[in-house]
Amino acid sequence: MKRIITVIAAIALIAVSALAFAEGYTIGIGQFAVHGSLDNCRTGFIEGLAEAGIVEGENLTIEYQNAQADMGITQQIAAQFAASNVDLMVGIATPMAQACYNAANGAIPTIFTAVTDPIAAGFVNADGTAAGEVTGTSDALPIEAQLATIRAMLPDAKSIGILYTTSEVNSVSAIAIYKELAPKYGFEIVESGVSTTADIPLALDALLPKVDCMSNLTDNTVVSALALVLDKANAAGKPVFGSEIEQVKLGCIAAEGLDYIALGKQTGLMAAKVLKGEAKASEIPYEIITEPGLYVNNAVLAQFGITLGDDLAARAIAVDAE
Amino acid sequence: MQLLIGVLEQGFIYAILALGVYITFKILDFPDMSVDSTFPLGAAVTALMITKGFDPLLTLPASLLAGAVAGAITGFIHVRLHVRDLLSGIIMMTGLYSVNLRIAGTSNVPIFAHDTIFKNPMISALPKAFAPYAPVVILAVLAIIVKLVMDWYLSTRSGFLLRATGDNPTLVATLAQDSGTVKILGLSIANALVSLSGCIMCQYQRYFEISMGTGSLVLAVASVIVGTQLLRGMRFLGATTAVVIGSVLYKGCVAAALSFGLSPFDLKLVTAVLLLIIIVIGGRRKKVKRHA
Repeated sequence: MKRIITVIAAIALIAVSALAFAEGYTIGIGQFAVHGSLDNCRTGFIEGLAEAGIVEGENLTIEYQNAQADMGITQQIAAQFAASNVDLMVGIATPMAQACYNAANGAIPTIFTAVTDPIAAGFVNADGTAAGEVTGTSDALPIEAQLATIRAMLPDAKSIGILYTTSEVNSVSAIAIYKELAPKYGFEIVESGVSTTADIPLALDALLPKVDCMSNLTDNTVVSALALVLDKANAAGKPVFGSEIEQVKLGCIAAEGLDYIALGKQTGLMAAKVLKGEAKASEIPYEIITEPGLYVNNAVLAQFGITLGDDLAARAIAVDAE
Repeated sequence: MQLLIGVLEQGFIYAILALGVYITFKILDFPDMSVDSTFPLGAAVTALMITKGFDPLLTLPASLLAGAVAGAITGFIHVRLHVRDLLSGIIMMTGLYSVNLRIAGTSNVPIFAHDTIFKNPMISALPKAFAPYAPVVILAVLAIIVKLVMDWYLSTRSGFLLRATGDNPTLVATLAQDSGTVKILGLSIANALVSLSGCIMCQYQRYFEISMGTGSLVLAVASVIVGTQLLRGMRFLGATTAVVIGSVLYKGCVAAALSFGLSPFDLKLVTAVLLLIIIVIGGRRKKVKRHA
C-alpha cells in the first residue's frame, strides 16, 4: 500500500513539474495569509508585471500558494517553488519572503513585498546593500505623517492607543518609531500587546479608557479583528486611525497610508527587470513608497463631527465604506 | 526529485519532534500541550546563540537542555502540584511564549548571514555535486541517531519503567518506584527532543519566528498516528522507525495537497482527507499489539 501511495505521489509530482515547462516565464508567488492588504499587493504585482509586458496567460505562468499563516507551510511552499525551478520567487509578507529567500539559496532571485523592515528581516545589510539575490519593496508606515495628521484633526488629543501583536516584528518596530516621534507632536503612546485575536476584546476594554484615539498598524492579527476594534472604539467615542486604504474602507476615520496595489505594482516593475535580465536582484536597491496618501472616510468624519482643515482637505482622498 | 528531498528534509526534522511526542502521547498517555512552545524554545535558544557567534553545533546540546528543563517543569506542575495533565501543559505553553520572546529578543530573528549546521565552511568544502544533498543527509543522520538513542533508552531499566508508567502505574509502584518521578523524567526527555527539533528547524529555515510552534503538537500527533497505524503490520520495524516514516509521510501528504494546485483555502481539508485515508487503510491491517 505504501508503494501505491508513493507511486500516486510520484505521478502527481511529475504532472506538476510538467506544467512548469509552459512557454515564457514561470514565477512562484507565496503569500503569508489571506487578507485585504496582502491580496492587493499580489493584484498590484501582477498588474506591474503586465505593465512591463509580462502578462499572465500569455508569457507568464504563476504558481500561487497561500500559507494560511502557517509557518510550517511557508517552508513547504518555498521548497516547492525551488523544486519546480521557477524563474523568480515572490514572498508577500515577512515570514513568507524569508522562507522563499532561504529556499532559493542564491540560485533563484527572490522578490519581497509587504516587508516593513528589510534590514531586520535579513534581506538587506545594515549599509543598504542586498544580502543576496533578493530585493523588493518595504511597506514601512509613514508614521511621522500619520502623527501630524492626527494632531491636525484632533488638536486636543493627548494620548494615542496602539494595539499590536507581540509576535509581529513589524509592529514592534513601528511602535518604537511612534514612541520616538510622539513627543514632537505632543502625544503620549499607550500600547497594548496581544498574542492572539482572542485577547483583543479584553485588551481593548483596558486600553480605550486610557486614550483619546487609536492608531492602527498593519498588524495582521489586529487587522483581522478590525471590525471588533472599531465597534468597541466607536462605542467609547474614540476615533480609530488606520494605516492603509483597506482599513479606512472598513471604517477607520482616516489614514496616512499605503496603497498596497501601488506598492505591488512598483514591486512588479522591479520583478520584470529581473526576469528580463536587465538587472540582477542584488543590483536593485529595495524601495519604499515615499509619498503617502491621505485616505479619509467621510461617513466616520461626520459621525465624530470632525471637519478637515484646508491643508488636509486639499489632498484627502475620500474612501467609501464597503 | 528536489521536491522529494524537500519532503524528506522537513519530514526528518519533524520526525525528531514526533519522537518526543511519541513518548508523551503514546507511552505516557499525556496530552502535552507545552510542545507548541518548547518547539520554538529550541529555536529561540538557537537563534540567540548563533547571532552571538557560538558554534552552531553547540546549539544542539543547549536546546536539548532547555527543552529538558521546560519538560521537567511541566512534569513538576502536573505531578507535584497536582494540576491536571492538559492544564499543566497549557500553563507551560502560555508562560513559555513570553520566555521565548525574551530569549530571542524579538519575534523574528533572521540568521541568514550566520553559519549553521547546514551552511558552514566544512559543508562548502564538499564537492559541488554533493552539496544539494548535504542537508538531507545531515537530517537523516540526526533523525537516525535520535531514533537509535531512544531505542536504546527504552530498552534500559529506566526506559522500561517509563513504558510501565503509561501502561500500568500499579506495576511501577510494586517495583517500589515513584511513578511521578518517572513521568517527570519522561516529559523532560520528550520536550528535550521537541526543542532539539525546533533548534534544527531554526537552522534549516534560517530564521526564528515566535509563531513557528503553532500547531506542532497536532502535526506531531498526526505523524505518530500515521506511522504507528500504517506500519503496524510490519513488526520488524520498531515503533520509533514507524514514527519517523510517519512524519515523512505526513509531510508528503501536505506536499501532495499543495501540488494538486488546489485553492489554498482547501489545503487543510485535502491534507485531512489524505491523512484519513492513510489511517483507515492502516486500520484495516490485522491487529498487532499496541506498542512495544
